[in-house]
Amino acid sequence: MSDETQNNAPVDDADRRGFLKIAAAGALGAAYAGMVGYPVYRYLASPIEKAAAEGAVKEVVLDHGLDTPKNSALMFQFGQKPAMLIHHEDGSWTALSAVCTHLGCTAGYDAAKKIIYCPCHGGQYDPHSGANLGGPPPKPLAEYKVRVDGGKVVVSRA
Amino acid sequence: MNYPVWDVPFIGSGWTIGIIAIIHVLISHFAVGAGLLLPVVEAKAVREGRTDWFPRLEKFSKFFLVLTGVFGAVTGVGIWFSIGLANPEGTSALIHNFVFGWAIEWVFFIVELSLAAAYYYTWNRIPQKTHLRLGWAYSIASWGTLVIINGILTFKLTPGAWLAFAGGGNESHHFWDAFMNPGYFPSLGLRTLACVSLAGIWGLVFFGGLPESDKTKPNLVSWSTRWVIPAYVLMPFFFAWYLATVPADHRELLTLGIGSAGAGTFSHVTRMALVSLVASATTAAAAFFFTWSSPGQFTRKQGLALLFLALVATGSTESVREFLRKPFVVNGYLYSNGVRVSGVATMNEKGYLASSPWTGNVEGADLPPGADVTGQRMFQGQCLSCHTLDGYRPLRHLLAGRDGKSIGNVLQMLHDHKADSPYRKFMPPLVGTPDEIAALRRYLDIQVNGKITWVPPPPKADSTKADSTRLVAVDTAKAKIDSAAKKDTAKVALK
Amino acid sequence: MRDTNVFKWLDERIGLAALMEVATHKTVPEHKHSFWYYWGGISLFFFTVMCFTGVLLLMYYRPGPAAYESVRQITTEISFGWLIRSIHSWSANLMIASIFVHMLSAFFLKAYRRPREVLWFTGMGLLGMAMIFGFSGYLLPMDDLAFFATKVGLAIPGVVPVVGPFISDLARGGPEISAYTVSRFFALHVVILPALFIPVLMAHLALVQKHGMSLPESEQDKPEKERKSIPFFPNFAMKDMAAWLVALNVLALLAACFPWPLGPAADPLKSAPMDIHPEWYFMSQFQILKLFGAWFPGEIGEFLGLGLINAGIVLWLLVPFFDPERRAGLWGRRVTWFGLFVVAVLVITTIWGYAVLPAAAG
Repeated sequence: MSDETQNNAPVDDADRRGFLKIAAAGALGAAYAGMVGYPVYRYLASPIEKAAAEGAVKEVVLDHGLDTPKNSALMFQFGQKPAMLIHHEDGSWTALSAVCTHLGCTAGYDAAKKIIYCPCHGGQYDPHSGANLGGPPPKPLAEYKVRVDGGKVVVSRA
Repeated sequence: MNYPVWDVPFIGSGWTIGIIAIIHVLISHFAVGAGLLLPVVEAKAVREGRTDWFPRLEKFSKFFLVLTGVFGAVTGVGIWFSIGLANPEGTSALIHNFVFGWAIEWVFFIVELSLAAAYYYTWNRIPQKTHLRLGWAYSIASWGTLVIINGILTFKLTPGAWLAFAGGGNESHHFWDAFMNPGYFPSLGLRTLACVSLAGIWGLVFFGGLPESDKTKPNLVSWSTRWVIPAYVLMPFFFAWYLATVPADHRELLTLGIGSAGAGTFSHVTRMALVSLVASATTAAAAFFFTWSSPGQFTRKQGLALLFLALVATGSTESVREFLRKPFVVNGYLYSNGVRVSGVATMNEKGYLASSPWTGNVEGADLPPGADVTGQRMFQGQCLSCHTLDGYRPLRHLLAGRDGKSIGNVLQMLHDHKADSPYRKFMPPLVGTPDEIAALRRYLDIQVNGKITWVPPPPKADSTKADSTRLVAVDTAKAKIDSAAKKDTAKVALK
Repeated sequence: MRDTNVFKWLDERIGLAALMEVATHKTVPEHKHSFWYYWGGISLFFFTVMCFTGVLLLMYYRPGPAAYESVRQITTEISFGWLIRSIHSWSANLMIASIFVHMLSAFFLKAYRRPREVLWFTGMGLLGMAMIFGFSGYLLPMDDLAFFATKVGLAIPGVVPVVGPFISDLARGGPEISAYTVSRFFALHVVILPALFIPVLMAHLALVQKHGMSLPESEQDKPEKERKSIPFFPNFAMKDMAAWLVALNVLALLAACFPWPLGPAADPLKSAPMDIHPEWYFMSQFQILKLFGAWFPGEIGEFLGLGLINAGIVLWLLVPFFDPERRAGLWGRRVTWFGLFVVAVLVITTIWGYAVLPAAAG
């Protein structure tokens, strides 16, 4: 009796055993990959997480912002990204993000042409509004709010 | 401080419970798991006509009876002794709340042990069917003991609806609220799965000792491995469920150790969780790889290596579970040092030692010169439950480099227990009158620095309030300025 | 499986069938000393962990003046940085310990005999390089322990007459340990040593494949019929995997329960701590040099001690020539006694070295 019950099932049994072995090995492999992978991922992504936390920066105080001469720009860091404070000929101030909207290069102020120019691919922006005037950039530069507080310039998110 | 304090050198009273309890879990979960494995395997042997298995299974049930009946019982009672000595308030709370639960647990224990003995001694002496029935009866009784103790264990972390009735005087009327708490079912699932796995591991330990020439060995070893592995497939789901029932602020303890594991960071839970995950996976994986290709050549040494891994997995997991509950013994009701949440205000007003019978000088109290017994009693009552001076979590080391003023700042932070205090996540508030706290500060100053290194300045002459409260006001103001300026390692590390 | 399309595709391009022939026909002897067969693989496992965690640390470590600050950031700010560093340091110690176990078991089971002499030489080369890996890596965090331990260690080549001080200066990149030393040790640890270690390791493994596992004398005594062996794949390979997993678990346990500490930044103007000493695998040499320096006047003593240590290493290296094959026992036994003597010296001087350390301050 036992012989027959055993002989009837060998193929199915072997297949099932093989599948179970592979399933078990796969599950264990996935567990190890996860256990090793999670700390490694958090480790490598740590600066990204920190930057995101710092990206919560709401405003920046520029102690010597008022010293910026006319028709020039002061480059500074807003959180993790570069930004510029422009003192126009007519005395007005504009603060813009300096991250070019084309491929992320840092754009600069061209005093001679009185325009914002990105050297990477020739993008051009209006220094008063950040609007994209020419070249490849598809969008204007992000604008920040500027105010003077106790002799210092305070730049904050719009 | 209604009870005397148990000072265990080096490891502390907490870990005394821990060591006994971890060994108990290793054996008791085996008892439940093997209680299921034995009748299942016996039924399989009968069904497939493998009568050559019976002598080995009989020997295994003898091993099982001795291990669980002797060491399981001894460590189980050991837990009773050690918790009663280490935390009488907590033990009292559990006893009073679950009176009939405990009684029923003991009934199940007696039934379980009797059936285990009967199962072994009646092998080949009574009809097969009856013997099998004994085995099934055992597994039900054994799982019953888990079903009951699980309610009491999970109550401590998630008291659930019971908390609304805490302190009302009729807590034991709300037995079912306490027993059927949010953590009950996920924990029951996890523990049952752990029992099944441990049955497989102990089976591997036992059957690994069969000689290679034994033709039943490959089957019995493979069979044991099959019990180890499936649990790991289901555990993640129950674990996710369990984590969801853990209160959010306690769950956060898991992440405290991600940024740093340095001194001042409470990284224990993170680190033990990592060990628990790796050890659990390794236990299953090693069992799998050791027995895949040639189960007949599996040795007892390999089985013992697996048992060691299982011990590490069990110890670290239970450690994580316990530490998740900090600073409570019953979450939201009773702190680890025996102070009730409801009693904090009274103790702050009337004094921690106001109702304590242990306040006077006792012969051989081991007081260092210059310290007073109030400071020592404050230390023993509120600190010794989790710290030692030179051993586990040593205060001499943790407070090293701090003078009396700085120690006072820490104590003030602990006393104020503000929402942004870095200690709040894992330490109870320090209770007592300002005089008692000052006595504790002096006691710790002497223990850490060998002498009093700071004396608070005398209060101004035109004070209308009592001297001691005025001192506290000055201290607090200074503490606020000082603790902001000082490099507080705990704050820096936890930022 | 061999008639599936996938198999045929792979076989045509990479010779899969031939590879599988090797794997399935290779056998490993199975006897009461088989336990020692795993230790080479365990050493290899720890080395793999070193490479993996080392590359991860490389992402944030800055050699030069910012070294300490970068390690401080890794340990206290980067998520799981403390864990990567803890595993790297613990695995280093476990790797060297398992290489010692591997070497000593190969020695006492006489696996250096013909035709495996080159395995012995390459193995010794690997051990030497592993210890230099350890020494160079130890300095990189630039905390005061690293600084002073390296200072004390670099004094050792300095005792060689005439060229000694120059060698030490060259290693240091100057008369004192500075940012130049860190850069130099970094280049050694991350580029030079791996470039040397990996080819020698490959040669070592290839030779193991070629010669197979050696049989201890007790097995050789048995008639062929009574000797047991198991196929490498899957039997031994599976057990090897299990051993690696146990090693991984021990490593995780140590790294999580005893996280590697970071002391205060190195301050060359501070005096060395009272109990300064190198890591455990250099303690034996450290203590021998101390002893000889005390027994003999001036620098002669330390030079003598160094000479003796080197003579011992050379003898150890040449053991396959003293005992090249199994004969009527004479040289075989002498070599075994020599081995026991060396183990005794290593163990005793290491324990002695720790015992005589003055109590640490504070």
